[in-house]
Amino acid sequence: MKLEGSFPVSAPRPVVWEAIRDPGLMAQCVPGCEMAEQIDDTSYRARVLVKFGPISARFNLVIEIEQEIALEEVRSRARGEEGTRASTVSSTNILTLSEPEPGTTLVAWSTDFSISGRLGKYGMGLMRKKVESLSAEFVKAFAARLEESAA
Amino acid sequence: MSFVVAPQTVDEAIAFLAANPDARPMAGGASLVAMKNARLIEASHFVSLARIEALRGIGPSAAGGLRIGGMMHHRQIAECADLTGGWQMLRQAAGLIANRVVRNMGTIGGAIANADPAADYLPVLACAGAEVELVGPDGLRRLAVADYLVDWYETALEPGEIVTAIELPAGGDGPSVYRKLARTPGDYATVSVACAREGAGPDSSVRVAVGACGPAPIRDRDAEAALAGRLHDPAAIAAFCATLAEQADPIDDVRGSAAYRLKLIPRMVAAAIRDVTGDR
Ligand SMILES: Cc1cc2nc3c(=O)[nH]c(=O)nc-3n(C[C@H](O)[C@H](O)[C@H](O)COP(=O)(O)OP(=O)(O)OC[C@H]3O[C@@H](n4cnc5c(N)ncnc54)[C@H](O)[C@@H]3O)c2cc1C
Repeated sequence: MKLEGSFPVSAPRPVVWEAIRDPGLMAQCVPGCEMAEQIDDTSYRARVLVKFGPISARFNLVIEIEQEIALEEVRSRARGEEGTRASTVSSTNILTLSEPEPGTTLVAWSTDFSISGRLGKYGMGLMRKKVESLSAEFVKAFAARLEESAA
Repeated sequence: MSFVVAPQTVDEAIAFLAANPDARPMAGGASLVAMKNARLIEASHFVSLARIEALRGIGPSAAGGLRIGGMMHHRQIAECADLTGGWQMLRQAAGLIANRVVRNMGTIGGAIANADPAADYLPVLACAGAEVELVGPDGLRRLAVADYLVDWYETALEPGEIVTAIELPAGGDGPSVYRKLARTPGDYATVSVACAREGAGPDSSVRVAVGACGPAPIRDRDAEAALAGRLHDPAAIAAFCATLAEQADPIDDVRGSAAYRLKLIPRMVAAAIRDVTGDR
């Protein structure tokens, strides 16, 4: 399933660049993220709780940075599974930053995402809505964090 | 391995849930047991609500409307002779849920806790202006359906809270109707519509809610006000139907594509309005 979006943040590009590479800050913005840490130069580990109706699935994710152009683009790949292995997720992601006007950074993202196992039962139509609302939550939290640290 | 406990009072159930964060309430088990067997969910305990007397009964509410206990089964609601006029649609909806077995097992509280966007009660309750009563460790609160349903399959229910009752305001004389379009009898709705008439004179109006076309039923009170007194005016009805369809956010799934649902909404809403005005 492919999804994409973009959102502006009232912060200069270097600030946004630092933020997206800061696992502590990202953990506070990703909905359901309980922990995130850097493993080495190009990989991170995170634990994310996804709730869908009566199902709560806790994913252990490994995120690998595959390619990085400073201040401009990050390509990454994420894989994860639940402890019980009832579900797996994987995604390839591209994030690009641009500064259409000084002090405003446009963050554009796209992801190609798949999920199998118990959350897969809800079907892709619904998953798409869920990913959309989670990303809207992320955008709100992320923009708020950056704007408050800029202020 | 899960254990079933069966408290006798709401307070006991709430206390048990508070002390056991991995416990889950269980109503009739209509969905829960299937989900557990499919290993979709796990729980340390199932807290059966079946023995709690306070969750049963259909009768007058303190506010002058109707109170339906959370543990009332669909069959009991479908057979309730008090549900006439503006409440008739609730009876109809209950009688169209699934099949006889599920109607005997499933409850209104369980259906509302599950919050399947295609659940039959949701548009009816939105149309009736009903409130969902929740009780948890912090006490009791009542939420309008629109505030209770937060997102797809997501409700305002906090951990440890249970749905204790549904309260409907005085229903009026109606008539009211529930229309459900499903692939086969007993399936969840592809699109559903609840519609109730307010008043009988030339300036009478309708309340309308559309189900299965978004995370929560679609209801537009401004559009209802604009339609008041024009229930026999085809252009006004067409505009009203279009306004509701514009607010829909349906998904593609096995029961129909989003585009198909958008086409169905105006037809079904117009048909439901004709049902309550008697126009053909
Ligand atoms: C085969 C099948 C077909 C169905 N078709 C339809 C249909 O056409 N239309 C329709 O509207 N519905 C349909 N349903 C759903 C049905 O209406 C049940 O109401 C629903 O499954 C809930 O069942 P239950 O009341 O036994 O709750 P349970 O299965 O016991 O519980 C369901 C969930 O709600 C929670 N829960 C239950 N009661 C409460 C409470 N009082 N407070 C807080 N949480 C609670 C449980 O923890 C669980 O997560 C169908 C279900 C099945 C199994």
